[in-house]
Amino acid sequence: MTALADTGIVSRNNAASGGTAQLALRYAWRELRGGLHGFGVFIVCIALGVFAIAGVGSVAASLADGIGSAGQLLLGGDLSFSLIQREATEAERSFMDAHGALSVISLTRAMARTSDGRSTLVEVKAVDSAYPLFGAVVTDPQLRLDKLFTQNNSAFGAAVDPALLTRLDLKVGDRITIGNATIELRAALTGEPDKLTGGIGLGPRLLISDAALQASGLIQPGSLVRRVYRLRLPDSGTSDRAVTPVEKEAQTTFPDAGWEVRTRSKATPQLERNVERFTQFLTLVGLTTLLVGGVGVANAVSAHLARKRDAIATMKALGATGGSVFAIYCAQMLLVALFGAVIGAALGALLPYIVSWAFGAIIPFPVAPSLHPGVLVLSVFYGLLTALAFALWPLGRAHDISVSMLFRDQIAAERHWPRKHYVLATVVIAAILAAVAVQTTYDHRIAAIFIAAAVGVFVLLRLVAILTMWVARRLPRQGSTILRLAIANIHRPGSLTPTVILSLGLGLALLMTVIEIDGNLNREFTAALPEKAPSFFFLDIPATDASRFDVFVHDRAPASMLDRVPMLRGRIVAANGIRAEDLKAAPGSRWVLQGDRGITFSSMVPAGSRIVAGNWWGPDYSGEPLVSLESKTAEDLNLKIGEPITVNVLGRNVNAKIANLRAVDWENLGINFVLVFSPGTFSGAPHSDIATLTFADGGNNAEETAIIKALGDAFPNVTAVRVKDTLDTLDGIINKLVLALGGASSITLIAAAFVLGGALAASQRFRIYDAVVLKTYGATRARLLAAYALEYLFIGLISVVFGVAMGSIAAALIVTRVMEFPFTWVAGQAGAAAFTALAVTVVFGLAGTFTALGRKPAEVLRNL
Amino acid sequence: MNDISIHPSAGDIVALRGVDLSLGRGAARVHILRQIDLNIGRGEAVALLGPSGSGKSTLLMVMTGLERPDTGTVMVAGQDLRILDEDSLARFRGKNVGIVFQAFHLIPTMTALENVAVPLEFAGERDALARAEQELAAVGLAKRLHHYPAELSGGEQQRVALARALAPNPAILVADEPTGNLDEATGHEIIELLFRGHRERGTTLVLVTHDTDLAARCDRVLHLHSGQIDRQTSSVEAIAR
Repeated sequence: MTALADTGIVSRNNAASGGTAQLALRYAWRELRGGLHGFGVFIVCIALGVFAIAGVGSVAASLADGIGSAGQLLLGGDLSFSLIQREATEAERSFMDAHGALSVISLTRAMARTSDGRSTLVEVKAVDSAYPLFGAVVTDPQLRLDKLFTQNNSAFGAAVDPALLTRLDLKVGDRITIGNATIELRAALTGEPDKLTGGIGLGPRLLISDAALQASGLIQPGSLVRRVYRLRLPDSGTSDRAVTPVEKEAQTTFPDAGWEVRTRSKATPQLERNVERFTQFLTLVGLTTLLVGGVGVANAVSAHLARKRDAIATMKALGATGGSVFAIYCAQMLLVALFGAVIGAALGALLPYIVSWAFGAIIPFPVAPSLHPGVLVLSVFYGLLTALAFALWPLGRAHDISVSMLFRDQIAAERHWPRKHYVLATVVIAAILAAVAVQTTYDHRIAAIFIAAAVGVFVLLRLVAILTMWVARRLPRQGSTILRLAIANIHRPGSLTPTVILSLGLGLALLMTVIEIDGNLNREFTAALPEKAPSFFFLDIPATDASRFDVFVHDRAPASMLDRVPMLRGRIVAANGIRAEDLKAAPGSRWVLQGDRGITFSSMVPAGSRIVAGNWWGPDYSGEPLVSLESKTAEDLNLKIGEPITVNVLGRNVNAKIANLRAVDWENLGINFVLVFSPGTFSGAPHSDIATLTFADGGNNAEETAIIKALGDAFPNVTAVRVKDTLDTLDGIINKLVLALGGASSITLIAAAFVLGGALAASQRFRIYDAVVLKTYGATRARLLAAYALEYLFIGLISVVFGVAMGSIAAALIVTRVMEFPFTWVAGQAGAAAFTALAVTVVFGLAGTFTALGRKPAEVLRNL
Repeated sequence: MNDISIHPSAGDIVALRGVDLSLGRGAARVHILRQIDLNIGRGEAVALLGPSGSGKSTLLMVMTGLERPDTGTVMVAGQDLRILDEDSLARFRGKNVGIVFQAFHLIPTMTALENVAVPLEFAGERDALARAEQELAAVGLAKRLHHYPAELSGGEQQRVALARALAPNPAILVADEPTGNLDEATGHEIIELLFRGHRERGTTLVLVTHDTDLAARCDRVLHLHSGQIDRQTSSVEAIAR
């Protein structure tokens, strides 16, 4: 011990441990003073990934802020009470009147018909004289609402979405009929303050007065009309807190009302959920960008440490421990990563402002751009953790750089694996990264699957790279020098192979997943449609007129198939004794508990369903109410046969026992219900029927147009929803979402291109040496160029083949397991993306090698 | 046996016994040091002479704990280097051993002052920069404190390296061909500074060189051949040869 103390080992140990962090930072900073040379790719890789995450998060948060701050406007009041198929009772109405100013709107779907028989589906919104309580309706020409709606010459006035004018080739001033009412289109509807609360519209909006709706005759017992009562509190605008007591009082006073109550602080929960869900996917794409960029980080750190070997060995010769060396370069790497992450976060923070400025006018949501420190800090955290996860390995190797290299030329073989604790730290950091990503996303399960898949693909691509190099090393010796050089470059130490296969393969796999899912969705919605989907949904068929409707359809389309069932709207209020709001549902089935759902009753097992548990009630069953539940929903809500479900229908709570579980084929686009009740459960309740019409040959435009025209004359109150139009609408929305996902995924390819650029820069020294030596012995630039092109082509091809394969497998799994429809490999876009990736590899590679080819042998040889 | 101690005593700063070292693996394995026994006294100046590949630098590395022998014991400044782990060895070197390399090995991103302060800072010295400044002044570079290595001549760089090696007042100063990369005049200046440091601080000096004149300035000259110390001479004998 004395000897140790004499030599200073013990005392220094204590002193050094105290100031290691400070010393590491000081040394890291000293090295960085000279600039960030060699860290370009590192910084870009981190900045791109962080930008993607910060940008997506900031835009989403700004959107949420916009939606949140415009709560009154979007909701159309401080509180709204939404009722389906019924009006508020006297008592309910009195309660609302007593708490403030009230406005009532009615929402329904109807057929708008022109005088010459053309028709289309419209989303009708009928308003009272108090509408709107907040904001203003904008029309072209701008008219006061009372003037807009005035009845002139038996026609009611309306404002209409310009899309309807285009669709039916109409202009302002023309007339249409809705049910039995004549409507004069007096203005184009260009601004509707509460538009978002309506959800996705299947047709253009028609804004009419309540009187016009009454005159149309569309409102019949059981009609699918949603009435929304909006309440403006007297102290409105002072505090959100004033709203809560009224909401609570409403729920306690009318526990069985079955209404959906929303407050201005949660005006559009569904929209917010969708924004959140979509943000999650974009964030995961951003994380993949970081994963791709991580390869660049690892390369950059390795190259940097290779340049610093002398300095590191010198420091160790002067008393630095391996741990100190690690601490110094780890601190340096974190400083550089912080720099890149801050750049990415700053650009991401700007994104909401750019989006608002550039697209504010066309985005249907209010965007309130502002800084979101939480989002930015999280994105920087992701950036730093990724950099750390990828840099720990090469940094760990620096621990063992030997001082003896300063004394002799021959260098001891470098350890391929860093010490155990660095390997462990890498695993821990990666696990933390994954855990944070899973915890901070909307759907933990999907995030976990995504991350597991990304890591799986990453590991597989690493193995592919190892295998490629192994095979290249063992190929028989080639006669052609060019081929030999290309193959040697594929497997030699420091080759581009692992970098390109990892980064390009991963980026391409992600893009390919998005492309293939998009292609399959398109195919499912369009190409696959005629074989199995109905042509029409008919809504609001009065139960009393149902037989006449059947005859009407069979007369006009004798070869078609008509499927008609009763439909009511109801909401689940409790299941197995637990209130709906307290039920724990898996994400895939939460929608069942949100708002009201279509429900039916039947004596037979519905078409497209099969019983998977329990027994169907007999055809003449007349006992206590029973319900058949869709099996996946039952599993997600943890409900079993024999347990009770309470559903509120038309303001009345109905209890039914689960009798059986059904597997439902949702794909057939037929009439499918989660809840099917036994006959007699709703006896006496007014209801209408819903029907599908399927033409034997899939139907054509002429047949479809003819039946709509005839229907308009015979059943003006029945609404026909053309399935093709609906799917077009949905397809349009999906295309926009896929475009955004594809755009975000492209960032991963940009990151991959930078990683490739970085790897090329790092290997430049070897390439210049090769080129110069080969030129000295007679190689022409053309031959060298051919050798390099072959090398990039081989590596690129392998990356593309495996990237495409893995992306396609991922897409196939998602399509078949999650979306549950058959997968078909879609070539078109996939081929284009693969070709682009290959071209980028070869062009980037050759561009990066051009310097090497241009060097004069003498100038390099002198300095060797 | 290669027992080359003239005056083995408790005052020895270096004591090697039966040191044997091979490097490389399999067919490429080379026996570099063979059964070396060596004592070097405190304050002594010893030169290692020999042809390339004779094991001079490796012997230096064994003495400084940079290389572990396959067999044998290495005692330096009263410390058995075999029992120290890698980190303890690094700390030991930082305090007790100053190294001057042929290729200087200054850290290019640090100024002269910062380079000299490195061993002091790693040793946790609070006044590292002030002491580094004194050391640089002592080698005549008081006006080049804030210059980076690339802004210094070869001779100046080696002076910085010497100041760095002497800064912690090491018990033993080793120099591996310190003038190998310098012209004759500059090399001479460096040697003067090296010996001045050795004299004034009483530091033991171990010098690897091909230069017999330079070796002759040391108290003892050890002649290495094929990994063995085949003889030793006093400085007078060396000059005579």
